[in-house]
Amino acid sequence: MLSAILEQIVNGIVSGSVYAIVAVGMTMIFGVLRAINFAHGEYYMLGTFGAWFAIEYFDLPYPVAIAIGVIATAVIAVVVGKFVMQRIVGAPPETGVLATLGIALVLQNTVILVFGGGYKFFSGGYIEPVSIFGFTLAEQRVLIIIVCILVFVGLELMVTYSRMGKAMRAVSQNIECCAVVGIDVPQVALRTFILGACLAALSGVLTAPVNVSVYGGMGEIITFKTLPVIIMGGLGNVRGTFFAAMILGIAESLVATYVGLQFRDTVGFATLLLVLMWRPHGLFSAQARF
Amino acid sequence: MMHKLDRRAFCFAMGLIGLGAGSIDAWAEDGAIRLGIVAPMSGPNSRYGSYSLRGAQLAAEEINSAGGIGGRKIAITSGDSQGTPVEGVSATRRLIDLDKVDFIIGDVSSSVTLAMQPVAEDAGVLLLNAASSNPKITYAAGVGGFKWTFRNYPTDENRALIVIQYAVEKRGFTKFAVLSVDSDYGRAAVDFTKKYLPGLKGAILTEDYYKEGEVDFRSVLAKIRDSGAQAIIMYGNADTTPIIGRQMIEVGLAGKVPLIGNAEFNTESTIKAAPKALEGAVEAAAWLPAWDAPRSLAFVEKFKAKYRETPNNHAYVHWETVHLLAKAIEAAGSADRAKVRDELSKIKYDSAMGEVTFDDHNQARLPMILLQIENGKPAIKGAYSAEIKYPAK
Repeated sequence: MLSAILEQIVNGIVSGSVYAIVAVGMTMIFGVLRAINFAHGEYYMLGTFGAWFAIEYFDLPYPVAIAIGVIATAVIAVVVGKFVMQRIVGAPPETGVLATLGIALVLQNTVILVFGGGYKFFSGGYIEPVSIFGFTLAEQRVLIIIVCILVFVGLELMVTYSRMGKAMRAVSQNIECCAVVGIDVPQVALRTFILGACLAALSGVLTAPVNVSVYGGMGEIITFKTLPVIIMGGLGNVRGTFFAAMILGIAESLVATYVGLQFRDTVGFATLLLVLMWRPHGLFSAQARF
Repeated sequence: MMHKLDRRAFCFAMGLIGLGAGSIDAWAEDGAIRLGIVAPMSGPNSRYGSYSLRGAQLAAEEINSAGGIGGRKIAITSGDSQGTPVEGVSATRRLIDLDKVDFIIGDVSSSVTLAMQPVAEDAGVLLLNAASSNPKITYAAGVGGFKWTFRNYPTDENRALIVIQYAVEKRGFTKFAVLSVDSDYGRAAVDFTKKYLPGLKGAILTEDYYKEGEVDFRSVLAKIRDSGAQAIIMYGNADTTPIIGRQMIEVGLAGKVPLIGNAEFNTESTIKAAPKALEGAVEAAAWLPAWDAPRSLAFVEKFKAKYRETPNNHAYVHWETVHLLAKAIEAAGSADRAKVRDELSKIKYDSAMGEVTFDDHNQARLPMILLQIENGKPAIKGAYSAEIKYPAK
């Protein structure tokens, strides 16, 4: 019984890690641009497609495919960032909603047009099971947890010590003041956006081996799983996002086991409702950003 | 005044032309037996519609070149349902009112067929379904209500019963876990399984339904593993099966607990994704091009020669159903609808899948092919049939 619960908690941590890597990008973009990026799941999808393309058409090994998936997404993010996201800075909130929803549609349907709407089979990755604490786990999942920890340690260091991280924090606090003291706000916005998109792509490539199917609409479900995470974590709060993602992952896993799989997707939004009722600024922060 | 008269004259003239055109149309192919095929010829399911029509046309050609039925040829008119009930009903009306068909075969999609039933009933036109699997269609036919609806296709209930019967009787399983898609299809198939399970002395230990697009099954698979179930009953989406297969390998279910039901276990890409998990999987199919019966193989050859593609299930069932109808017309000695209907209800027809007879709900008793994945390849384990128990009135 105890080991069964332990196993479900580990399962939850794995799915929590995936949510965390995607959500942290989304929450950072919100911090700087003040816009929920509804196209975030699409970068997850693009990363996966990039890696799938590299494996399927050029027969490249999985680690190279990871790099290609992330780089391809970065290139697209530069274009979208330059032409759309930079213009959202300081614009009224509905601009961000419309622009990102529009981008989501364009990206999704472009991929469907180019590669077709059918499900593709992702053949890369390390799917052999390994045994830990008496239960088995695909190697890929261990990799996901390790990468998640590295990403968060890295981000924490970056926003605390690096110049770009400090600029990001500054922009998220007060855009006008940043402009006054000479911080290049559009540049910071663009970089944050590219970083966020790349993290989403990385998460997509890492989960592709265990999720197997690759298709144009796969990003949507990720966007909607990520929304409750970033709101629970406190919009713009990196550390909060990590814990919120883990809580959601573990709660979902336990509900799927002990209540029923069909109730799994309700967990995120039920928690979200509770959080919005009692702690609308998120579970972990009063004001903190980054 | 002049203007009014003109318009009246114009309407009258148009009416005459219309009548003339109508009657010309109705008598154009004098003596031919008119058969309407309602199928999705456009829209997302148009591939199925095209197979259906081609199958039917091939059968009509064979019958006509052999001299027709008692000297009368079959003339096929195609109606496009677009896969939606609304369009299906208008296509059916057009076939009945304008094309004056005597018989209709259609549709592929169950919801369309359900909508067509009352239309055919009102007009007293025989509706012979060849490809819809929703059990409701024949629950409401024959002694259940619609006298003019027949179905020559196994239902989801047949499938569920055949699969579970095989699992219990041939494989010796008694403890099952359910993991199906959360849709009408997935839930209904499990309900039918439950209807027959007590009679087979089997039990369901856990029951879960997944949302379309779900990708994380580790939790539920671990629960199934710990429950001690011997097989997983799965009526699901083809695209989800590889994901579940992979995760079965991860949690240590693969090779121990097989999947049974229907979610494209036998396609090559699915097996390739998780060979160990799909080993021993059991699935029932209405027909397969590989089915080893002379009549079936001959059909595949003819279809390939004519259309340069391998026929699918829909092509076969429409081809076979046109032949079945022709046999009923021949036995009736005329194309009189009521006589053909009576002949149909007592017909004994030798199809490529075995003998076809209809029960009192006008549902064909049809065997299904059982496939089991052995050494990474689907192996045909024979054809099985099952008698449906209708609820007592």
